[in-house]
Formats: sequence, structure tokens, C-alpha cells
Amino acid sequence: MNAIPQLFFDAMSLGGIYAMAALGIALIFGVMNLVNFAHGEYIAFCVFALIVPSTDAVAVLFLGKAPALLLIPILLALGAAIAVASEFVVFRHMRKATPVAMMISSFALGFVIQNSLLLIYGSRPKAISLWPDLNKPVSVIGASVPLLQIIVILATLVVVVALALLLKKTKIGLEMRAAAENFTMARLLGVRANVVITGAFALSGALAAAVAMIMVTQTGVADIRMGGQIMLVAFIATVIGGLGSLPGAVAAGFLIGAASVILQAFLPLDARPFRDAFLYTFVIVILLVRPQGLFAAHSAKPRV
Amino acid sequence: MSKLGVFDVSVRYGKVPALTDVSLQIEEGERVFISGPNGAGKSSLLKAICGAVPTTHGRIEIGGMLVAGRPPEAIARLGMTMVPEGRDIFGTLTVEENLRVGTGIRRDRDAIESDIDEIYENFPILGERRQANAGALSGGQQQMLAIGRGLMTNPKVMMVDEPSLGLAPNIVDQVYETLIRLQKDRGLTLVIVEQSSARAARVGGRMVLLRGGTVVDEGDAAEFAERDLLKEAYFGQSAEEPA
Repeated sequence: MNAIPQLFFDAMSLGGIYAMAALGIALIFGVMNLVNFAHGEYIAFCVFALIVPSTDAVAVLFLGKAPALLLIPILLALGAAIAVASEFVVFRHMRKATPVAMMISSFALGFVIQNSLLLIYGSRPKAISLWPDLNKPVSVIGASVPLLQIIVILATLVVVVALALLLKKTKIGLEMRAAAENFTMARLLGVRANVVITGAFALSGALAAAVAMIMVTQTGVADIRMGGQIMLVAFIATVIGGLGSLPGAVAAGFLIGAASVILQAFLPLDARPFRDAFLYTFVIVILLVRPQGLFAAHSAKPRV
Repeated sequence: MSKLGVFDVSVRYGKVPALTDVSLQIEEGERVFISGPNGAGKSSLLKAICGAVPTTHGRIEIGGMLVAGRPPEAIARLGMTMVPEGRDIFGTLTVEENLRVGTGIRRDRDAIESDIDEIYENFPILGERRQANAGALSGGQQQMLAIGRGLMTNPKVMMVDEPSLGLAPNIVDQVYETLIRLQKDRGLTLVIVEQSSARAARVGGRMVLLRGGTVVDEGDAAEFAERDLLKEAYFGQSAEEPA
């Protein structure tokens, strides 16, 4: 059999989702020392935006009916919009607050988004069929792989490369990197705090939308609680990667994805239900050895 | 245009006063040294002017424009640049990226490349290491980079907080030579925090002495140096404050 290539594709595609979600968190942490726990709810929001608002069990596609070429940019923009809006409504007023106060506010914001979705769509998970063709298997180097997995891996690569280019080659990218290292100094040189922070939120929200599209295609379910699970893993990835370090977030996302898939494959049958316990033990060991994370980010300087 | 006015400015950190009713006029193209013991409020004065710390009282004007209460990025747009104590180089950025961070506020985008070349002419070591991470530079090189980075905003007023901090004396000489040359070439107004009256006298300029958050004396730097020498002669120790 071709178990090894199969495992590889599983690990890479799961890791890719985690990496993108972790990047969304690391970007905002980098510029304002905020761990934005509402990030998972941005993902859920984008998923529910695909369907007609109703409390019925069967989802009727709404935005999701649009052709992919139209839908993808719209959903990315929608993700960016909710993230930017939440900055404008909530976090902008907390620039001088402590990181803990901001983090708690992000929890509160997450609950507001989640409960708004609950109110509109009901609590039952809904079956939703976006791009079902992507789950058909194709044969790659002897392994039978859903097309979606390959797309996820490619999409992650595109996102990471595009983000790296944006940060490296554009003016806003340079300003974001400078601000992430020393916000006050960047402002003294004329870098506008609002522009950099809004930019980080927009990118983060667009990443949430990308994750939303992948998750919904993969699972075929829209669930109010779906944001929380991915948020947890993504947050752990950013911590392991070194809070604020973007390469660290990507590497740790892939690492957790790979570890999860490998444990699932090689643990004895009886132990498999406890896979996550093994996974998080592994996380604890990493943090015991490197409390600053795999890629220690430059020191977390005071914000604004 | 680039006249700098500080009127009755107070700054406090929580309940601790750092500056109390400080007033100071600086003319266009002037060179002013701010001196005084540790904790006298020298850095706080500079930070208040560039908007890095809020003032609790008083007003600050640059070229007749009221700046107190504006964010630092707006004050930078009025032609004010700051080379902070400890330099605050962006260590994870390359030398050239450090120089480019502050160019976002410039309207004369065509002049940016030639200005970068000019900086490399002024500081050849920065040109050689333009692609290196700025965190790998020596202290003296970082000081040069911080000055170059400030210049790239095309300022009218440059404030330099303790350029001599942690640098060997011959490097400090180089830094001052560069600052004076730049001032002549560009008509910059320079405000420099310098503890040593002897060095200020050698460079030449007006000196403002702060103590306990207020201006206690001001005059020609040479007079201050003479007085300090006299004190040294009487009391048998250097009257200069340790860095």
C-alpha cells in the first residue's frame, strides 16, 4: 500500500489549515500584543455567510452559490471586513489597555459574534455542500488523495509566499515589520499606527476566510462551534512557534498537523481516542524545552 | 518655519512629575544641548516634543503649529525627527530597510533613492552592510544608522538623545562631526542631549541645563564648560555627570 504518501498529504493539508489560522493570530499579536480569541469566530462568520440565514437544518447556499472566481474574493473581503470592523468597534478603544484586558475583550467579542450567529442560524450544525467535486479522490504518486487536500497544500503555499512578499516588498509590509518590532519608534518615523493595525486586521480576517472555505469544503458542515476548535489549535501553534513570529506560526502549524496525523496513524487502536492527550503532551514537552517557542520572536515591546 | 517653542510644559508618569513648567525657544538652524543629571527630565523633554509621551500641561509649537496632543506620526510629518537614547534600531530589518521605514511620509518620492545614496556616502560602512540585519551592527554603526534613518524622513528638526551613550570617545567624535556637517548641509535645527559640557563646548552651541524637571540655567556651552572646569579645580573631581 501507499500509506506513506497518503500520510504525507494528510499531514500537509491539516498542517496547512492550522498554519493559516495561526498566521492570522500571529499577525495581530505582532503589531499590538493582542491574542485575538475572536479569530475563530471570524472563521465561523465566514462559513455562515455562505448560506441563507435561517434556523432550518438544511442549509441553502446564498453567497456559496456564486462561482468560485467571484466567491473567493468576496469571502476574503468579508473576512477582512469583519476583522477590521471589530478593530474599529472594540480594539481601537483599547490601545492603551493591558494585553490581558485586550485578550479578555477578544473573548467577549467572540461570544458576541457566536451568539449573533446562534440567533440567526440556530444551534444545530447544518449540512452544507460547497464545491463537493473537490472531495473526489485523485491519484498522486500512488496515493489516492482528495483534490481538496492538494488545493489546501497549494493554497497554503500561495498564502505564505504572498504574505512573505507583501511583508518584504511593500511599503505597508515594511511598516508592519518595523511596527511589530518597536511600535513607538516606527510612529516617531511617521508610520501611522492606525494604518498598520488596520492592515494587520484585514490580512488576519482574510486568512480566517481562507480557512473557512477550506474547512467547510472538507467537512461539509456549518457549525456554530467550529471556530473554537481551530482557534485552540492555532493559538497553541502561535505559542509553540514563538508568539509574534510569523515563520514560527507556519512551522508550528505544520508541526501540529503532522504530529496529529502521525499519532492517529501509529497509535495503538486502544489509545487512539486519546490522541489529543498525546498531542498536547508533546506540546508541553516542547514548551518545557523552549518556553520562548521554536522561533523566539523579537522581544514583545510596548504597544502604541 | 522650523522654530521650536516649548511653553510651560509639564509631563508626569503616573504621579511622578518628570517635567514641571518647562519653557524653551529654539530658533531655526540653531544647535542646542540639553544637559543635566540623570532623572533631570532630558529624555522626557525630547519625548514630549516628538509626541512619544503626553504632556499634562502647557503647549508645544513647531513652526507655529500646535503639536501637543497630536500622535507622534503626525508630529513627524511636521518635520520633527528623533534619534532616541539606545538608538532603537529595528534589529530584524536590514540596514537599508531601516533607512526606508521613515520615507513613507515624504512627498518627494523621487529624491528618496538619491538620499539613500547620500547616506551611504556619508556613512560608507552602512553602504557596505546595506543588506545585513541592523541588529548585527556595532554600537557606533547603529548610532550612524539611527541618524541616517532620521534624516530619511527629510526633517527640519532633529533631536538626538545621548549620542555618546556607550560609544568609544573617537566614535563619539565621528558622530558629532557628522551631525555638524549634516546641520551645515541641510540647515537642520539640532537638539542634542549631552551630559558633558566639555564636549558641548568643543562642538559649540547653546546649552540648557535641566535639574529636577525644570530649566535651571542656560547659556553658551563654552561658559558652562569653564564653570565645570572651575568646579573641578575646587572640588577635585569631575563635575561632569557619569554617562
